[in-house]
Amino acid sequence: MTGPATTVEVTLRVNGEERSAIVEPRRTLVELLREDLELTGTHIGCEQGACGSCTVLIDGASARACLTPAFRAHGCEVVTIEGLADAPGTMSVLQQACMERHAFQCGFCTPGMLIVAAELLAERDDPSEAEVREALSGNLCRCTGYDSIVAAVLHAAERLRPTVDGAAS
Amino acid sequence: MTIQRLTGTSVQRVEDPRILTGRGRYVDDVVLPGMLHAAFVRSPHAHARIVSIDTSEAKVMPGVRLVLSDADLRPLIGDMTANGSAGLFVATYSALARDVVRLVGEPIAMVVADSRALAEDAVDRVVVRFDVLDPVIDMDAAMRDDAALLYPDHRSNVIYRTEHRYGDTAAAFADAAHVVHERFLQHRHANVPMETRGGVADCSPATGALEYHTSHQAPHAMRFQLSMILRQPAHLLRVRCGDIGGSFGQKGGIGREDIAVCAASRMLGRPVKWIEDRAENLAVGGQAREERLDVEAAIDAEGHLLAVRLKMVMDTGAYPQLGFPASGYTNVVRSLFPGPYRLEHYDFDAIAVTTNKGTYVPYRGPWEVETWVRERLFDVLARTAGIDPVELRLRNLWTDDELPRQSVTGVELIKMTQRDTLLDARDRIGYDAFRAEQVEARRNGRHLGIGFCNFIEPAPFMPSLIKAIGFMAAPRTPQEAHIRVEPDGSVTLFTSQQPHGQGHETTLAQLVADEIGIDIARVRVVHGDTQVTPFNFVGTGGSRAATLASGAVMGAARQVRDRILRMAAELWEIDVADLDIVDGAVVAIGVPSRTLPMPMVGVLAYTRPGLANDDGSLGIDEHHAYISYEGTWSQSTHCCVVEVDVETGQVKVLRFLVVEDCGRMINPAIVDGQVRGGVAQGISAVLFEHSAYGPDGRYLATSLTDYLIATANDLPHIEVVHHHSDPDDAVPFRGVGEGGAIGAPAALTNAIEDALVPFGVKIRE
Ligand code: FES
Ligand code: FES
Repeated sequence: MTGPATTVEVTLRVNGEERSAIVEPRRTLVELLREDLELTGTHIGCEQGACGSCTVLIDGASARACLTPAFRAHGCEVVTIEGLADAPGTMSVLQQACMERHAFQCGFCTPGMLIVAAELLAERDDPSEAEVREALSGNLCRCTGYDSIVAAVLHAAERLRPTVDGAAS
Repeated sequence: MTIQRLTGTSVQRVEDPRILTGRGRYVDDVVLPGMLHAAFVRSPHAHARIVSIDTSEAKVMPGVRLVLSDADLRPLIGDMTANGSAGLFVATYSALARDVVRLVGEPIAMVVADSRALAEDAVDRVVVRFDVLDPVIDMDAAMRDDAALLYPDHRSNVIYRTEHRYGDTAAAFADAAHVVHERFLQHRHANVPMETRGGVADCSPATGALEYHTSHQAPHAMRFQLSMILRQPAHLLRVRCGDIGGSFGQKGGIGREDIAVCAASRMLGRPVKWIEDRAENLAVGGQAREERLDVEAAIDAEGHLLAVRLKMVMDTGAYPQLGFPASGYTNVVRSLFPGPYRLEHYDFDAIAVTTNKGTYVPYRGPWEVETWVRERLFDVLARTAGIDPVELRLRNLWTDDELPRQSVTGVELIKMTQRDTLLDARDRIGYDAFRAEQVEARRNGRHLGIGFCNFIEPAPFMPSLIKAIGFMAAPRTPQEAHIRVEPDGSVTLFTSQQPHGQGHETTLAQLVADEIGIDIARVRVVHGDTQVTPFNFVGTGGSRAATLASGAVMGAARQVRDRILRMAAELWEIDVADLDIVDGAVVAIGVPSRTLPMPMVGVLAYTRPGLANDDGSLGIDEHHAYISYEGTWSQSTHCCVVEVDVETGQVKVLRFLVVEDCGRMINPAIVDGQVRGGVAQGISAVLFEHSAYGPDGRYLATSLTDYLIATANDLPHIEVVHHHSDPDDAVPFRGVGEGGAIGAPAALTNAIEDALVPFGVKIRE
């Protein structure tokens, strides 16, 4: 056997910025993000599609980056945990709510949890507790028992909802 | 007097801005120039003799830099020997298997290549020939006379036996109104941190210095062992940890992979990274809790516990973990079993066996089986005697006038508040109303159940418990803190804790800020670097931070404060008693014009020899050590309400209530997070998790789709209520790291059994 047979060039927008890399066809999206693009905020908890730590948004829909071949993201818009805030050094309403509610402990599940929570909040601003639990139920957290994460997402939703006079509170 | 401003409030976590924006630094995020990647060839067999290992083809694969087996490593490094204790057989083993493999997943060879993918490609080309041996896969099989032997030189798979007698059980049983015999078995499950194990070894060819970046609870213990096994001078060895994605006891020992990766980096003079994959973690990362207890218990007609005989068997798996010995677990179980209850006649026998399964490691509350069995037993006894289970517990708790006292095993029971937590839990859950609802529901074919669990958690271990256990616990107790005032007046705390989710960068900073009188933003907590942090064998573990790390931190902070005040007193020629530190500046009480802000304190301390320190040394640098003492119990009552679908067997947890007494809290939100996380693990263990092996010793739960963990949908909101006894202790905080996981399994199992009473179902596993 000699070296890798072929490579492909993948170009995509990550957190609003155009990025590209030349990778082996077997490279996964999470490897592309973490290793080629040095965005290590997305974590690998299993590479089996089971834990959700690697979840990112691809064209607005959450997906497991450990199961997604990198070339599948070619031409797509990808959002990772690093892209949730508007500007470096700031935090989104969701991230602030997580800070206020002590949502996380070790932080390893955090990237996936934040992505699915952001996806939920983009769809609806008044989820019930059961809906939040359902939305998070594909992501495993071993530290918190989930209560604090659920509370933070509900708190973020509350802050994102327009108030009676129309402005976001 | 210090004004308590932050301590006791849910200060937002210092860790969160980086964690919430994806800027944490976990071990897999460590990337070093020239870094290579390791992957392991692992045994597909539970028990086999290695006939040959052929690495020739792997060695010439593209990108491969090194392929190692034991034959290569043996001349260069030592073997791994776990802690011993009297009467315990401790197997010595090598980083990579030597001659025999004893569990599925055992590392046999290691490939180091330019990328992880290339290393894995080459792993497939290493050819190992085996002579398969009979596996030993359960504790009964292990104890049979004709069992295959894991360590033929030892001539038995039993590695430890212990017998203790307290009081006179024979006489007590003779007086009994009821005697029950039960067998309780806990199934094997595992810690399963979301981040697996891993490390990056970086040996400098220029100096021979080795740095090991890893994900670990106890970096100093890691360094201690690495130094011995690698024969690496300790002054050329540094262990570093960044953010850690959970551990729960798993990352306290030293892995065989750690040794191999460090050895490879030293051979190659280049950084080598190994990140465990999930299948490896589930199979060989460490498993826990597989214990069986045969219980014989006697009560009188009023339900008073007269005597208990326990026979415990634990399955320790194939190799002893470099960390906590098998005898340690059985001895803690023995010492704590009586808990807060009146028990004066007690026999305890234990056997530890070795089998062809994953290594038994400590898991959050490693002695949890004492609580599980005791609290399960109380429910069985209550039904036998026809007494309400809460009432039975109340009758058996030591009364206030019998306390404080020594338990039958010699443990000092001081400041027990279990009667309060139990009564409060009973009231808050609405016990009487629940019983009425339960009767009504049964009429409608719905099966509700309720379960309670009381326990006392040594948080931290106290001297009398350490004495009762009788082994190696002593060096594990002291905690040390080192605080330095920097030239600009900011403050650095070096702690011997190694947080991995517990938020110590926040809680310890709260204490420093309050004790000195400065803003928390001017305090940085440093951990995870053996070059600068104080030595400790345990790091973070054993619920020791709240009392011991806090005591050390508060002591060092007070010394810093005193030194600052003495400096100002000398400068201003004012009596120290007339000075205070308020909002980051020294002030003279009643003289508003006199202030010395911390930045000036820093500058003066570093530029005026003799001002801060009489011997002329510069700066302010204080160390303080703190050791354990009696009475440091956290105490809880857990109460669980379930509904069981008798058609499907499905259990729904409707309510879970914890009434907890851990003294004062430094940061209530962090305390509640610890309690809830532990409860979630306890519920998950009972309902979902199983480290399952097939009859041939094959490991069956190799992915998180086979090894199930509770999700947000499977768990209820966990209610936590706090009581605060002992608020006047010098360090009034108690640990809560383990209790959630100790109490939940018993409360949940009792609730399920209670729901199934009409069917006479007994749950033993
Ligand atoms: S790493 Fe992708 S789901 Fe676990
Ligand atoms: S915070 Fe540790 S896994 Fe979720």
